[in-house]
Amino acid sequence: MKRDYTGIVKSLGAVFLGLLAGAILMIAIGANPLKGYFYLFQGGLKSIERIGNVFAIATTLILTGLSVAFAFRTGLFNIGAAGQMLIGGLCATVIGLSVELPRLVLLPVMFLAALIGGAVWGVIPGFLKARFNVHEVVATIMMNWIAYWVVYYTIRNYFTAGLETESASMPAAGQLRVSWLSQLLSGSYLNLGIVISILCVIVIKFILDRTTLGYELKAVGFNRHAAKYAGIKVNRSIILSMMIAGGLAGLAGLTYYTGYSVNIQIGILPSQGFDGIAVALLGATSPWGVFFSATFFGILHAGKGFMNANTSIPPQISDSIIAIIIYFTATSLFIEKLYKKLRGRRADRKQIKAGGDE
Amino acid sequence: MKKILLVVLVVAMIASMMAGCAKKADLLATVGMVTDAGTINDKSFNQGTWEGIVKAAEEFGYEPKYLKPVGTTKADYLTEIGNLVDSGYKLIVCPGFKFETTIYEAQDKWPEVLFVLIDGTPHNDDYSDFKLGYNVAAVFFAEEQSGFLAGVAAAVELKTAEFGFIGGMEIPAVQKFNWGFQQGLAYANTNYGTSATIKAENVIYQGTFDDVAAGGAIAAQMYDKGVDCIFTAAGGVGVGAITEAKARAVNGENIWIVGVDVDQYPDGVYSGEKSVILTSAMKGIGTVAYDMVKAFHQNTFKGGVTLIFDASNDGIGIPAENPNLSSETESIAADVFGMLKDGTIVVSTVQGDLIK
Repeated sequence: MKRDYTGIVKSLGAVFLGLLAGAILMIAIGANPLKGYFYLFQGGLKSIERIGNVFAIATTLILTGLSVAFAFRTGLFNIGAAGQMLIGGLCATVIGLSVELPRLVLLPVMFLAALIGGAVWGVIPGFLKARFNVHEVVATIMMNWIAYWVVYYTIRNYFTAGLETESASMPAAGQLRVSWLSQLLSGSYLNLGIVISILCVIVIKFILDRTTLGYELKAVGFNRHAAKYAGIKVNRSIILSMMIAGGLAGLAGLTYYTGYSVNIQIGILPSQGFDGIAVALLGATSPWGVFFSATFFGILHAGKGFMNANTSIPPQISDSIIAIIIYFTATSLFIEKLYKKLRGRRADRKQIKAGGDE
Repeated sequence: MKKILLVVLVVAMIASMMAGCAKKADLLATVGMVTDAGTINDKSFNQGTWEGIVKAAEEFGYEPKYLKPVGTTKADYLTEIGNLVDSGYKLIVCPGFKFETTIYEAQDKWPEVLFVLIDGTPHNDDYSDFKLGYNVAAVFFAEEQSGFLAGVAAAVELKTAEFGFIGGMEIPAVQKFNWGFQQGLAYANTNYGTSATIKAENVIYQGTFDDVAAGGAIAAQMYDKGVDCIFTAAGGVGVGAITEAKARAVNGENIWIVGVDVDQYPDGVYSGEKSVILTSAMKGIGTVAYDMVKAFHQNTFKGGVTLIFDASNDGIGIPAENPNLSSETESIAADVFGMLKDGTIVVSTVQGDLIK
């Protein structure tokens, strides 16, 4: 069977059109887009430290992106990655701050806590959906705010030190940051989280493509009624899918709050949760697609400040580029049609050459 | 289709080349600022600092630049400082206590760069080490005096009134504003025969500096409960409260706001010259930012020092002109300012038995 590249073409087409639209925006405000993009990409890639930071930013985005993408495969829209991330981060932080264990034990315990915390936060909307048909978009958004205030209350009352707005700092034993990696990358924030996120990409890829569970989940995503008719337990699939999606987002919280940052801040719903939606869409909801789109977003995020510092181009332009890319990904029927048309024409030509007929 | 895209691309390229030629004279990229939580147009803390920098930069021929961090973690702050440093900026102003741990690392990482830290002193994550680098100037303000003065002025002007307080995050600078304000009300009650009251339920910390909508909602609740005048020390949250007050003032309600950080009178204007801003508890962030850039320009910038601005060096106060205050009130405020200045009145910086 010939491999289908439609997904990749769609994503690259959207990126290209997004960058083009960004260039037009830059011209519109009187800036030089070549210079703008030069600094934007230089800001992300010009030194080992900066490349490390790109992946440090991507670490969390990969996991939230995977979370959204995984639920999407089952036909569910997980808007709750932000809340699941908060709860995952909270569970890990609470354990890291209150238990004294050797690092080799502490980190796995925190890992499990984040995974379970996120999964619980995902499974509740999943259950509501399966049992009472409560729309998961509504349920996950509500769960975001519950998570927001749970974190606010817990951290505020039990885990602050000095500042009222953030938890005490994680002791070194509970951090995902490791000094040899930081030194190797001359002070970058890259941490063990990247290992976690790449492992998750591989595991999710395996689940989706190589297991019965993955097959069932995808079947539910393609057509719920057909799946039910085929004997797949749809409700169980929905709950499981949301549970795994939640767990992934919970791990995102672990990498963000104990790796990228070393404390958890209250009163903030992490934007990475919502960026995960964009990452998943651009990555065409495939695990490796998510990996590459998160890395690309990492470059834009890391580079936009540098572009802003060196040119008159405001950082909002790079946010706009991201938004436009998402727009093109979401409305990519146009690109898809174009691609299929081109491919079709070529195939026609081949057929004509070969002298075949319809 | 492909051809159209190609044409668009070529046009874009050519246009960009032309845009590149029309380059204005290069200014020295030297003075930068990284914003705290909240935006550059928060009408108070960030904006006040930035305006001071811009004023100085224009005067001395620098190109100022501010960067807004993606998030509010140390990593985000350090990233933006790194962006400025890598782009050749030599003086970086960081307004806000949240930069304490950031500057602690930055001062060693970039020893050749000068930093101004407003409202904080550098320390490490677990507060086990405080270190002020030779390249850092730490700046503090006596917010309690500023709040006190505004409290006295507001109470004297309104005589009998119910007050409220909206804070941003519950951090020292905001708390000091609050406690100073309450002491000011009490002082006016004792010495000028006013009856200014404030209830515990009307002292609220919203928890952020940028949730404009929440600021409006809290202000609405307070006014509904009979509060006449709200003191906001909350950045963007305060902007929401001012908007709510303006809407009510237009409808004829007799309600007020006491502004913060800068003279917020113009932000409270709702018709003609009339404003809901009774007065403002100012701290001279703009002046300090200006002075720092000036010192840098004249090569007299001194690092490794902690600077405290209070009434004694005119670092705090209420605006010179308060169209909503009577001349008697203004003269009383001037007296009180004098007493703060010479130390006759000492405002407490701790909570004591005040409302949180």
